[in-house]
Amino acid sequence: MIVSHPESLRSLGPDVPTGLPDTAFVRHLPLPGGAMLDVLVVAADTDDEVTATETMWRAWLTEAAGSVAVAGISAPVVVPLYGCLVAWMPGRAAVVGPAARLDQLESAVATFSTREADLRDAEQRTATLLDALETDAAEAFTIDESSATRREGLAARYREAVAVSRRLALLAPAVHAPQVHPPTLASQLGERLRERTRLAERHDLAVSQAELAERVTESCGQRAADAGIAARQTALEWAIVVLLVVQTALLMVDLLARRGTP
Amino acid sequence: MTGANRYKDIVSLQDAPHRSPRTGPPRIAIVGGGPGGLFTAWHLERLAAAPVEITIFEATGRLGGKVFTPTFTAAPVSYEAGAAEFYDYSPVDDDPLRAVVAEFGLPTVPLAGSAVYVAGRRIANLDDVADVLGPAARRELVGFDTSARGAMTPREFYLSGSDHATAPAHALERAPFAEMLAAIPSPAARRYVEMMIHSDLATESPRTSLGYGLQNYLMNDPAYMRLYRLAGGNEQLITALAQTIAAEVRLDVTITALGLGTTSGATSGATRQLALSWTSGGQSRHDEFDIVILALPIGPLAALAVHDPSLAAALRRHVAHHDHPAHYLRISMLLDRPVPQAPGHDDFLMVDAFGGACLYIETATHPTATHGVVGWLVAGAAAAELATRSDDDLAAAASAALPGPLAACRPHVLETRVHRWAGAVSGLPGGWAPLSVDRRHRPSPAHPNLFVVGDYLFDSTLNGVLDSAEHVAGWVAAELACFDIDRPYTSRGCAAGDTR
Repeated sequence: MIVSHPESLRSLGPDVPTGLPDTAFVRHLPLPGGAMLDVLVVAADTDDEVTATETMWRAWLTEAAGSVAVAGISAPVVVPLYGCLVAWMPGRAAVVGPAARLDQLESAVATFSTREADLRDAEQRTATLLDALETDAAEAFTIDESSATRREGLAARYREAVAVSRRLALLAPAVHAPQVHPPTLASQLGERLRERTRLAERHDLAVSQAELAERVTESCGQRAADAGIAARQTALEWAIVVLLVVQTALLMVDLLARRGTP
Repeated sequence: MTGANRYKDIVSLQDAPHRSPRTGPPRIAIVGGGPGGLFTAWHLERLAAAPVEITIFEATGRLGGKVFTPTFTAAPVSYEAGAAEFYDYSPVDDDPLRAVVAEFGLPTVPLAGSAVYVAGRRIANLDDVADVLGPAARRELVGFDTSARGAMTPREFYLSGSDHATAPAHALERAPFAEMLAAIPSPAARRYVEMMIHSDLATESPRTSLGYGLQNYLMNDPAYMRLYRLAGGNEQLITALAQTIAAEVRLDVTITALGLGTTSGATSGATRQLALSWTSGGQSRHDEFDIVILALPIGPLAALAVHDPSLAAALRRHVAHHDHPAHYLRISMLLDRPVPQAPGHDDFLMVDAFGGACLYIETATHPTATHGVVGWLVAGAAAAELATRSDDDLAAAASAALPGPLAACRPHVLETRVHRWAGAVSGLPGGWAPLSVDRRHRPSPAHPNLFVVGDYLFDSTLNGVLDSAEHVAGWVAAELACFDIDRPYTSRGCAAGDTR
């Protein structure tokens, strides 16, 4: 999947750090989960020009670092690549290189960022599921009146776990895709970003966590359902007992009535 | 010692009246202390059901052959003087070499690189191809790549050279690679492909088979294989092997003759032993062995004096079939500072200098590196031609040929070391019919206790020599399975009449 940016907004205003060439601009791209990616695009034809922009784009990237909380990614991932340079962090990226290559680089960054945002969203949802997991597991063997009320919450979490698993499964081909050969600049950049941000490992971990959440909520839900069924069975058994008692009483009355009849 | 005197050693040995069929553990001689010899000994010791007495004879003062990680004299910095990379087939199937490396617990470092410098311009991807060579060249290269992958799947790539290779794969071995290259209309695009694969081929494109050419092109695709090296030097593998095996190792031994031993198969039913003569420390010696395994490059194998006519003829046929010498030259340069990071963080670059060479950036990513090392791998006809030039000439030529950003390293070269590997590998020409794996390893069915091991029997790689060693070790171990310590060795330990 290559992400084009028809919905993107191009900004030439105050977003662009001072000191960069006039042609530099920032593109705003929507990402999954309602997030945005701001890409600073800077044309630079020589290695020296690329190097000269470092202070500016680095400052621009790090000023947003505090607003984006992502475990494990505290500094920009910098990928120098055959006369180009891409620096990426969640929410912001800088693309520096010859003007003829900027579209490909930008597109590769957008594609990668979409997948990464998708994975990050799945990771956050999995983390929420895992938070509830210990409570669910602790109450798994508690069979009382509360079991029935827990069922709805468990069912919701189970549905969420299945939804996360589905999303991770859809993401898997892109995350685990083999390297492209012969490579293009965009494929090389995508592969390096994937590798540096450990996308495959993070995906594997999220999959195993989602599976765990799915398994635990399913088994806890099963126990809650069993408890509900058992309660209904008990009520039914009592109803049968009452009916038998009533039937016996009626029989007795009937017998006594017959004995009194000449 | 003259040839006549060497022959006399064997004759006197054969005529010795006191000699009788010896008993005890089977005695195995492995001639060659390179990776082939060491792998064979290692496998044999693991596979043999009973103790075996293995002796390794090595002509030089060190083990390891082409796997060599020496140290510069100007600074205690090591470099790869021979094999710089190992092949990783694990994405496709089992990888025995990877398994050996893992068993020894040796840390590995992946190697990757896609940049090819042609006429000073860097081509690292299809976008660069379009920029430098033109859009038509890009289309042609994509077409060539599609044809190449259509001609050989990763599975066929993995099985090539084995008895399980498919019929289409065998057909690839008989056709010349030049035919497929000629299908690229643009000379510039064709040259780009040639430069990309030349250092791996170690010979010129017109002189190799379609199968081998394709393998060396497709190895750039991670779906077919990957590359890695051992952190701290590839020779660690040799050290680990040497420390593990129990075989007796004799260094600085020159084998002067191979001949038949004394045990007569006609009278005892035993396989006739093989006799080796050698010189060591100025002294001539000889001994007899139940099995001899020649783990030598094709050059020394061709030069081996053999004193039994039928055995000599068999070895001559073997050498004639496999003797397609290809050459390597390693020029390693020590810099007084770390190597600047290559664009794209490539671990190696292909350069059109020296007819198409590979330039390894050995210490660019080492976090504590105080020096830098770049190593040229010059191959094919250029290597053969340059091998005659002085080290100083080669150092100057290597420095002048440093491409792109590495050119800035020229004033910082502290020391240059040259290692010549003339005829060290096989070029695998097209038009020949591959032999079965058994036939490759036992050159003379009439002498069933003589085996050969070598990378030239497969694909001229360390992975190939391991396959070769594993095959021979398994074969020998199977034959020794019914060996009776109280009876002379027979090549058919469980032969007819033996009901054990």
